[in-house]
Amino acid sequence: MSDPASGAMAAVFAGSTLRLAVPLLLGATGELVSERAGVLNMSVEGMMLTGAFAGAVGAVYTGSPALGLLIGVLAVLPVALLQAFLSITLRANQVVTGIGINILVLGATTLAYREIFGGRSRAEVPGFDKWHPPLLSQIPVFGDAVFTQVWLVYLALALVALVAWTMRYTALGLALHSAGSEPKAVDKSGLSVTAVRYGAVVFTGVLSAIGGCFLSIGDIHTFTEGMTSGAGYLAIAAVIFGNWKVGRMLLACLLFGAATALQFQLPALGIQVPNAILIMLPYLLALLAVGGWWGGRVRRLI
Amino acid sequence: MNQATRWTNVLQDQRAVLLSLAAVVGALVLGLLLVAAIGVPMGDAVAAFADGAWGSPYALAASINRSLVFTLVGLGFVLANRANLTNVGGEGQIAIGAIAATAVCLHPGVAGLPVGLGFVLPMLAACVCGGLWGALIGLLKVKVGTNEVISSLMLSFIGVWLLYGSVQSEALLRQPMTSSSTLPESLEIPDPTKLPLLTGDAGMPLHWGLPLGIVLAVLVAVVLHRTVFGLRLKAVGLNALAARKAGIAIAPAIVGVFFAAGALGGLAGSMMLQGEQYSLKAGFSSGYGFDGLVVGLLARGSVIGVVAGALLFGFIRSGGINMEMTANVPSSLVLVIQGVIIVALAGSARWMDKKGAAR
Repeated sequence: MSDPASGAMAAVFAGSTLRLAVPLLLGATGELVSERAGVLNMSVEGMMLTGAFAGAVGAVYTGSPALGLLIGVLAVLPVALLQAFLSITLRANQVVTGIGINILVLGATTLAYREIFGGRSRAEVPGFDKWHPPLLSQIPVFGDAVFTQVWLVYLALALVALVAWTMRYTALGLALHSAGSEPKAVDKSGLSVTAVRYGAVVFTGVLSAIGGCFLSIGDIHTFTEGMTSGAGYLAIAAVIFGNWKVGRMLLACLLFGAATALQFQLPALGIQVPNAILIMLPYLLALLAVGGWWGGRVRRLI
Repeated sequence: MNQATRWTNVLQDQRAVLLSLAAVVGALVLGLLLVAAIGVPMGDAVAAFADGAWGSPYALAASINRSLVFTLVGLGFVLANRANLTNVGGEGQIAIGAIAATAVCLHPGVAGLPVGLGFVLPMLAACVCGGLWGALIGLLKVKVGTNEVISSLMLSFIGVWLLYGSVQSEALLRQPMTSSSTLPESLEIPDPTKLPLLTGDAGMPLHWGLPLGIVLAVLVAVVLHRTVFGLRLKAVGLNALAARKAGIAIAPAIVGVFFAAGALGGLAGSMMLQGEQYSLKAGFSSGYGFDGLVVGLLARGSVIGVVAGALLFGFIRSGGINMEMTANVPSSLVLVIQGVIIVALAGSARWMDKKGAAR
């Protein structure tokens, strides 16, 4: 990396890796908490899409991306409560409910988007500006390319750290763990397993919605139909690959983010790789990851 | 089984059918309300829907061909589901089957083969390749314990992008570039490799896949209910540990059932190519695998349920497409209706399955 041009290139790559990993990371962190509490949420994809859509619509109508974010988070609550009601209260098949909710949200957001914005897609929506963090962005070569990000990136990283700490060191973390592994003990202790699990699912929804908002009003400042295009499923794969540990899950998200970033990076380097292979790469890596390609025992989920 | 339990079962089955009907009707009513909310006159929308679903011989045949694809994928889902496994990989299996069928159809010499081998060989190739693609899910499951939902989903995404890539490159299946307007799709397959039409009339393109599909549905029903393999799958699904103790080789059963499901998905892909579209292009399947999966989910293990659900979804899809084209109702309305049906049925599963819980 002595060549300044390649240094700058690497910096851009690192920056876009981080940027592309953030929505996955938010969804995965929520999913991790929910799975720990004993609920598999296949609906992360739909929850992210809800956030992306409602965030964009909210930003357009209020003119403020911050209010858009708030609206995105509020809009996911009914979706999350539906998921919770189906899988916790009604004990419905979690895979079925998740896929059903994803299809429902994809249809509803596409329909509503066309109704609100007409046929014209890719209308610009008010989005967050990039933030130049003091000191960090002044690091030569890497500083600006890597650290000048929408503040949601830093919020995401802080949330991940907070969740890791909560799960490990607090009574709440213990309650979440126990709701998944020892529900009877939780009931005896006077806590309601149902309440803990409802909370976990709603938390997943909120984080996923923030991840979705990051896509629409944080990153590209527009909403496109079905714009999450599998990110929610990659988030679930990241949790499984991470073996339900925050650190490894973070690595998986960065890996999937890097694989996506290659789509933009390789052509810029003049390396000709078929587009399809590059788009496929995150899913391929996710498959290899959950397939235990790099060792490590993979637990059965269901 | 004594008389009383038999009657309970009948009542339970009726309750399941009634609940399913209620969910479908409720979702359709919701769809109508949404049409009204969009501001399209309800009469126009319904007329466009009926027109596209069964309004002409062509529309009717297209709906049935579509249902056929959903039936095959749904059968694959039900087979795996008997062993309590969830195959979410239909979309990828369709893609792999279609790639294989296209490659064989376009291979020089295949079109000239005698006694119908020209269209049979590509279908066989699609079955084998789709089957191997499906078997991967099973192998991952038995070798490293990978959750089959995640692996089959990832394989779906990978398969879809493989198809996309294969029509982008001239070294693979893309037609030779003759001008800048040459689309990234394969050449049209030669006539002898196309599925013969039952009616011999292109105005009603019902093809030979229909009788084949009916035979396969019966076959799957027989395998599930009348064969040792079906019983083994059930045993694995009910209690894998007990099944192993009883001497059932679990791993081959799991890999085998995923091969079968993948082969059915691959066959669906070859039928879409050889019976309908005649060339491979990006967006070839547009979610048929996921529709088939939903059909399988709704069928609750019953082959008749698969066929009924596939017909329902085939007609809803065709009608939805026509509503978009002629009545200006976005076809995503169909997704909303499907989503509501799935969520409603999943939520009410407990009341349908009281029978299973009591046993």
